[in-house]
Amino acid sequence: MITLQSVTKTYNAGRPNAVTALDGIDLSIEGRAVTVLKGPSGSGKSSLLSVVACMARPSTGRVSLDGEVVSGLPEHFQTELRRVRFGFIFQRFNLVRGLTVLENVMLPAAPLGKPFAELRARAMDRIEALGLGPRAQTRIERLSGGEAQRAAIARALINDPPILIADEPTANLDSALSETFLQIVAEEKARGRTVIMSSHDPRVWGADCVDRVVSMRDGRIEDAPVQQEPQP
Amino acid sequence: MTPFLRRQRALADFTLAALARRKGKNIALIAVYSVVVFVLASAMFFAASLRFETTTVLEGAPEITVQKITLGRQDLIEGSVADEIAAIRGLTEAHPRLWGYYYDRINGANYTVMVPDDPEMMPDPGQIAIGEGIPRARGLEWAGAPVFLSRYEGDLKKFDVARTFSRDSALMTSDLMLMNEADFRDFFDIPEGRYTDVVARVRNPNEVATIVQKGSNALPQMRFVTRADIARTYQKLFDWREGLLTALAFAGILAFVIFAAEKASGLSAEEAREIGILKAVGWNTRDVIAMKMWEGGLISLAAFLIGTVAGFAHVFFFGAPLFAPILKGWAVIYPDFPLSPHVDGLQLLTLALLTTLPYIAATVVPIWRTASADPDAVMR
Ligand SMILES: Nc1ncnc2c1ncn2[C@@H]1O[C@H](COP(=O)(O)OP(=O)(O)OP(=O)(O)O)[C@@H](O)[C@H]1O
Ligand SMILES: [Mg+2]
Repeated sequence: MITLQSVTKTYNAGRPNAVTALDGIDLSIEGRAVTVLKGPSGSGKSSLLSVVACMARPSTGRVSLDGEVVSGLPEHFQTELRRVRFGFIFQRFNLVRGLTVLENVMLPAAPLGKPFAELRARAMDRIEALGLGPRAQTRIERLSGGEAQRAAIARALINDPPILIADEPTANLDSALSETFLQIVAEEKARGRTVIMSSHDPRVWGADCVDRVVSMRDGRIEDAPVQQEPQP
Repeated sequence: MTPFLRRQRALADFTLAALARRKGKNIALIAVYSVVVFVLASAMFFAASLRFETTTVLEGAPEITVQKITLGRQDLIEGSVADEIAAIRGLTEAHPRLWGYYYDRINGANYTVMVPDDPEMMPDPGQIAIGEGIPRARGLEWAGAPVFLSRYEGDLKKFDVARTFSRDSALMTSDLMLMNEADFRDFFDIPEGRYTDVVARVRNPNEVATIVQKGSNALPQMRFVTRADIARTYQKLFDWREGLLTALAFAGILAFVIFAAEKASGLSAEEAREIGILKAVGWNTRDVIAMKMWEGGLISLAAFLIGTVAGFAHVFFFGAPLFAPILKGWAVIYPDFPLSPHVDGLQLLTLALLTTLPYIAATVVPIWRTASADPDAVMR
C-alpha cells in the first residue's frame, strides 16, 4: 500500500519559471492491484509517478510505503528503495545508448555485488521470457520501439521488485504491441506485483486487468479517491 | 570474491563497455594524454640520469688537478712539476697526464683523446682503444676495422682498434679514445717532457683547502683545481640543461592542466542523463562516483603506462633525439649518446601521482553534483 498525503511538487520553486506540477495530492494505492493515472498532458502524471518511486522528493507533504514514511529518507535509503522495491519503465524508456540489451538489463543489479554469472543468467531469463532472446547482444539504438520497451520491462523486473511503475507504456506502441504489453501487466499482476501506470490511452483504462483509474488535471486528482487514509 | 570486489568488477565492466562505446574519442584522449606524460617522463628520466652520470664522472675524477697558466690560459706543463707537487705535504701519487680533444673533420664530432695512466690499458704503438660511440659515429661496420684520423686537408693516419669499451658509463667512455704516448705526442705534436696537466691524490680530504693554499704559494704559476670545483662546473652545465627540462616539463603540465580543466568544465547532456538513469535504476552516489573513478583511473593509467614506456625508450634506447638539440654538450658524439638506464621508484611514483590524480579528480569532481541530485531532475 502506497499513501500520499498533501503532496505538492513545484519545479524551479522561487523563480519566475516555477511550475506547480502536483498541487495537494491525497491518494492511496492498493498493493497487488493495477492502478492507472489518466489525464491530459501536463496534468502531473509523470511527476506523481516520480514522487511515488523515490525519483524526486515532494516539495511538501509525504509519501509512505507500507505505513513507513519514505519521502524524507536520506538519499542512500531512497536509492535502495528504487533498487529493491520499484521497477520503473520510463516514458522514453531511458535505456543507455551504446550498451547491449543484456548490459542494460543487468544495470540495476550491477551494484549488488552478486557473482557476474548469476546476474547474467538472471538477466537472460528475463530477456528470454519477454521474447527478446535473439536480441540480447544487440545495441539499444538498433531496437524497434516494441523491442526497446520489452528491454525496459526486463530491466525494471531484474531485481524482482514488488512494485512495477510504467509511465505512458503504450504511447510508442501500435495496437498489437499495446495488447501484448497489457498481457504482460496481467501476468505480473497475477504474480502478485503492484502495477501503477499513467496513460492517455483508452485501451489501457479499459483493460480487464485494470482495477482502478485515477483521473488527474492540473496537478490535482479529479474524482474522490476510493479510500481515504485516516488523518493522524 | 567478496561482494565488494564483485561490485567493483561490475562497475569496471560497465566502465569498459561505456569506454568502448566512444572508442574514437577515448583513443584520441589517451593519445593526447600519453604525449603529455611522454614529455614529462622523458624530461624526468633525462634529468635524473644526467645527475647520475655526473656522480659517476665525479667519482672517477682526480681529487686535485694542477694546470699551468700562461697569459691567463691553460698551457702545457713540464713533467718535472709532478715531482714538486708530490713534495707538497699531504699530496700523494702525483703524476702528469696527456689528454685533449680531437675534432673529427670527417664526422663533425669531438672525441676525448687520452694516454691512459694505467700501463695495462696502454695500447701498443699504432693502436687505439675507443669508446663504443666512436665506431657508431663513424659508421664502422665490423669490429676491429681500422680508424683513419685526419688533422688537416690531405692528412690521414691509420690506427688499428685494439678494443672497444662497453657502455658502463656512457658519458665517460662513449667518446673516449686511448692512445699510446708516442703516438699521442707525434699526432698532436707535443714535445717530449710536456703534459696536459698533473693530477694528485689527497691523504686527508678534510685538508684539501689548506693543501691548495700551500700549493698555490709554492707554485704560484700553477692553478689547483679540486674535485669540488669540477663538481661545480658540472653542476652549472647541468643546471641550465635541467632548467630547460623544467621549462619543458612545465609546458607539459600546463597542457595537462588545460586538458583537465576542459574535462572538468562540463558534463555533456548525454553524460548527465546517463548518470540520472543509473541513479534511477538504483545505483547510489557512491556507485556512480566509483564508476567514474574507474573511468578516470583506466584512462590515466593507460596514458601513464604508454607515456612512461615511450619516454623510457626515447631517453635510454634512442638517446633522447627530441631533446638532443638543446641538451647535447661539449665532447659528445652525435647522434649517439646512450645514457645508462637509471630510474628510481620515487621518481616513477611522483610521475604517476602527478599525471593520474589530477585527471581522476577532473573526471570525478564535475559529476559530484549530478550524482547526488535526484534522478528525476537529472534525466529530463
Ligand atoms: N523537471 C522539470 N522542470 C520543470 N518543469 C517540469 C519538470 N518536470 C515536469 N515539469 C512540468 O510539470 C508539469 C507536469 O509535468 P508532468 O510531466 O508530470 O505531466 P504529465 O502528466 O506526465 O504530462 P505528459 O502526459 O505530457 O507526460 C508540466 O507543466 C511540466 O512542464
Ligand atoms: Mg508524462
